[in-house]
Amino acid sequence: MPEVTYREAVRDALARALREDESIFVMGEDIAEMGGSMGVTQGLLDEFGPERIRNTPISEMAIVGSGIGAAMQGMRPVVEIMYEDFLTLSMEQLVNQAAKHRTMSGGQLKVPLTIRTQGGAGWSPGAQHAQQLEAWFVHVPGLKVVFASTPEDVRGLLWSAIYDDNPVVFFEHRTLYPLKGDVPEELEPIPLGKARVHREGEDVTVVATGRLVHEALKAAEEADGEGISVEVVDPRTLLPLDEETILASVRKTTRCVTAHEAVTRGGFGSELAAIVQHGAFDWLDAPIERVGAKFAPLPFAPAMEQWVVPHAADVLEAIRRTVARA
Amino acid sequence: MAVEVKLPRLGQGMEAGTIVRWLKSEGDAVAKGEPLYELDTDKVTQEVEAEAEGVLLRIVVADGEVDVGTTVGVIGAEGEDVSSVTASGDGAAAPPPETREVEQETPETAADAPPEATAAAAPEGVPEPEAPAEAAPPVSGERVKASPLARRIARERGIDLASLTGTGPEGRIVADDVERAKAAPAPAAAPAPPTASAPAAPPPGEVEVVELTSVRKTIARRLTEAWDAPVFQLTVSADASQLAATRERMVELMREGDAKPTVSDVLTKLVASALMRHRAVNAHFVEGRIHRHPTANVGIAVATPNGLVVPVIREAERRSVQEIAAVRADLVSRARDGKLQLADLEDGTFTVSNLGMYGIEQFVAVLNPPQVAILAVGSIAERPRAVAGALVVAPTITMTVTCDHRAIDGSEGAEFLQTVQALVEAPALAL
Amino acid sequence: MATVEERAGSGGSGVSEEMLRGFFREMLLIRRFEEKVEERFRAGDLPGFLHVAIGQEATATGVCAALERSDVIASTHRAHGHAIAKGTPVDAIMAELYGKEEGCSGGFGGSMHLYDVEVGLLGANAVVAGGIPAVVGSALAFKLRGEERVAVAFFGDGATNTGTFHESLNLAQLWKVPAVFVLENNGWAESTPAVQHSPLPVDELGKRALAYGMKLIEVDGQDVELVYLAALAAREHALSGKGPVLLHLRTHRLAGHYIGDAQIYRDKEELKREWESKDPIALLRSRLELSDEEFDAIDVEVTAEVEASVERAKAGTDPAPEDALKWVYA
Repeated sequence: MPEVTYREAVRDALARALREDESIFVMGEDIAEMGGSMGVTQGLLDEFGPERIRNTPISEMAIVGSGIGAAMQGMRPVVEIMYEDFLTLSMEQLVNQAAKHRTMSGGQLKVPLTIRTQGGAGWSPGAQHAQQLEAWFVHVPGLKVVFASTPEDVRGLLWSAIYDDNPVVFFEHRTLYPLKGDVPEELEPIPLGKARVHREGEDVTVVATGRLVHEALKAAEEADGEGISVEVVDPRTLLPLDEETILASVRKTTRCVTAHEAVTRGGFGSELAAIVQHGAFDWLDAPIERVGAKFAPLPFAPAMEQWVVPHAADVLEAIRRTVARA
Repeated sequence: MAVEVKLPRLGQGMEAGTIVRWLKSEGDAVAKGEPLYELDTDKVTQEVEAEAEGVLLRIVVADGEVDVGTTVGVIGAEGEDVSSVTASGDGAAAPPPETREVEQETPETAADAPPEATAAAAPEGVPEPEAPAEAAPPVSGERVKASPLARRIARERGIDLASLTGTGPEGRIVADDVERAKAAPAPAAAPAPPTASAPAAPPPGEVEVVELTSVRKTIARRLTEAWDAPVFQLTVSADASQLAATRERMVELMREGDAKPTVSDVLTKLVASALMRHRAVNAHFVEGRIHRHPTANVGIAVATPNGLVVPVIREAERRSVQEIAAVRADLVSRARDGKLQLADLEDGTFTVSNLGMYGIEQFVAVLNPPQVAILAVGSIAERPRAVAGALVVAPTITMTVTCDHRAIDGSEGAEFLQTVQALVEAPALAL
Repeated sequence: MATVEERAGSGGSGVSEEMLRGFFREMLLIRRFEEKVEERFRAGDLPGFLHVAIGQEATATGVCAALERSDVIASTHRAHGHAIAKGTPVDAIMAELYGKEEGCSGGFGGSMHLYDVEVGLLGANAVVAGGIPAVVGSALAFKLRGEERVAVAFFGDGATNTGTFHESLNLAQLWKVPAVFVLENNGWAESTPAVQHSPLPVDELGKRALAYGMKLIEVDGQDVELVYLAALAAREHALSGKGPVLLHLRTHRLAGHYIGDAQIYRDKEELKREWESKDPIALLRSRLELSDEEFDAIDVEVTAEVEASVERAKAGTDPAPEDALKWVYA
């Protein structure tokens, strides 16, 4: 199996899609000659030209909105929003328009639009360039939300997102771009709405997303040394969510920890906890623990940033709390 | 042809408005588009224009708050008779309280027995039909900390959580603690009765304050609601000999494994028949309208440790007494175990409350809203009766129906009760 | 770039009398539809809230008459006139206002979310300027695929202050997409007159197009013939590859912002004057010199059409409550 980086995996999915289907094109800021601020679209301009690899002005509302229009006319645009913090500038079009056209029109319209974006702390970008906002979009009926954590997953899921007939907000994680991983020789589409069990265990289920999948795996290793057997599950698609896999896991282990880089309060872990509490109530032997960032805009100074954002140690502590005795 | 001037809906969300003053007087000529009256909505005061041409024949509502759709005036040709026009709207507004006429046909029976038996469950109400949450609640009355899983295992194995020591944080009992406990209860304590909910008896001389369970709170709320209905009660006594005989015959005809039919089961069937003949009594009164139901879903009041619940026997008129007995037995047993589902409590069209087993001869039940009537059944007891001038002693049953006068008149209630009486005295007519 | 005003000489060889009569019928149909909608709303028949386009019939009819069925439009919250003019059956619109399954949006949209993709109506929109970016995107798709179609956005003077408007015009002109931006300037953003919402004089709002290097065409929005000719010219320009057009139509909202709006913020005398001199239907009527008989004949017909649509709507099917989940995902 070839080994590629997460970044290359995204690019590969885009390139294969662009080759296969004329109706697919990519729009975003600085994605053409520069190849995108994260270098994801590097090389695509040469192969596909400026009509299909389109640089845009700094106009998130119009970029997303014109993506909606092209999608309504049967194309499959892929819009890149440079930092997920800037999704805020396109919220009206995303939430009021893209998510709702299908229902408001009584099924006459489809909006097969993919919005790719990225975020992630750890490099002192400051509060406006490192947010993790996936929870907002899980709350909007009509959208789908994907957050892949490995090269294989991101490639297979991006393909499925592009070919999904609904607006999909596709989150990538900045610190994962250089992460290497094995991918199948040929691209294997991964269906939206299926979770992945990265590691099996008996004592506690950790449901983690994005960078925290890897932190959770590290914590699981350590916990193993302490005699705690940890199962790590990555939902991969946050909306629609694979509740079955998650609940089956918690019923097996009887304990649950949710982990994401986003702020804990109101984060996706809260929705997970509600679902687990409801679906596995009689199987829970401990309160559900949520791991996430502390409740503050991300500070600049590295020591503060490090403290605010969660790491493997936080997941390990949460694991320990679930199995703790007095 | 006279045109009624109705209060228009001038904006989204507008339900009512206040007429400040009329700009035209009765008898004035009115042109279409001329301002007719001033209206205060909660946003703005504005003039409302006439939508018809003619003479303002009558001002029906001179001022004050009015619901949208209410007729406030009449425009027509001079000399037209519009005396019959009233303020009532299209049903969009309920008539104002002052105009509602309420008659109490019979003064409330001087019932010494407080009208206790009703209304924990209504078709739309959601009283929690749950039994005490723990299988084995602590005898001491203190809350035991145990994980949901530990509780489930304890419940399944009949282990008393109170007898365990928790090793989880803050002394929480975790699954492991229960698994390690012996299956039999701890030797020192006698097993707690399954539905025991009695807290430790207070020391003598002190007032015991009992907090309302959620079931009781619901009962309290709904009974208070029911108290607002203008009710009347009608009482009748019937010769119960045929009723008892019928029941005995049914018991003889029972097959093995069948639930044993009771007099109440027979009564349920008879009442259901009577309800089908008197549809007005098989109804709900909801928001100013009477909803007559096509089938009799008879609720039977059941006392449980947590309070009164009223599970419903659906389509009772179509079922045999044996079927009714089976359904009743299941519902009552589940009610006592706290295992009723919401579906068991919904859609009742009429309620029967029977305190006969306590020796109560007669009582008045409180309505179970939105049902328009409820039947209170007393004990069957040998009582003296006059028959053709002679004194006889016969098994007698006394029944009282409480009726909501907004939906049922005295005669309707009386006819229903008459039918019930006739059926009780000759059950074959309905079986 | 210079401002271009395209005019047909009055009485000149602009548009045929037959076509003008067709416009007249449609405009009167829209007027009677809107009046009926007002009446039904006040009677309590119609849920939600409604915005009627009384006074703005010529902009809807004139622009849509210049479009092909395969062209697409995005409308605003004041959409009934646009929907009728673009070809959505009156029955389907009325049924939608009544919330019935037979409605053009299946009962899912209501007055501010009328859709009829078959005739090119991509949606009315409850968010001011909300539909404009999708028009840019649709036009982009037409261009990329080499289709001879235009995408048209209707919006009002209030919308020209939104970020969405500016981003969309900038992008459309940058990429020279075949779009027409129709500014129906009635001088009011709900209760706020233009003088309170824009620093430019109200009659000059169209000049915002110039800031983007975009072609501007301006005509009197109450003269349906001029609107039609201007729309034809705009369409041609947009299709030529030379870029999009801002079509600035100065019009007049003769009723309130929404049904029930008492317009306490408006000078009653001024409103009366507008009714007397700016009613596009009255203007066309006198231009065509329609006799009372001719007018009544048309009026009876369109009124009957509207009334029939009400009866059909009332007899329509209410959607099942669970249908709410039907279209969440494709």
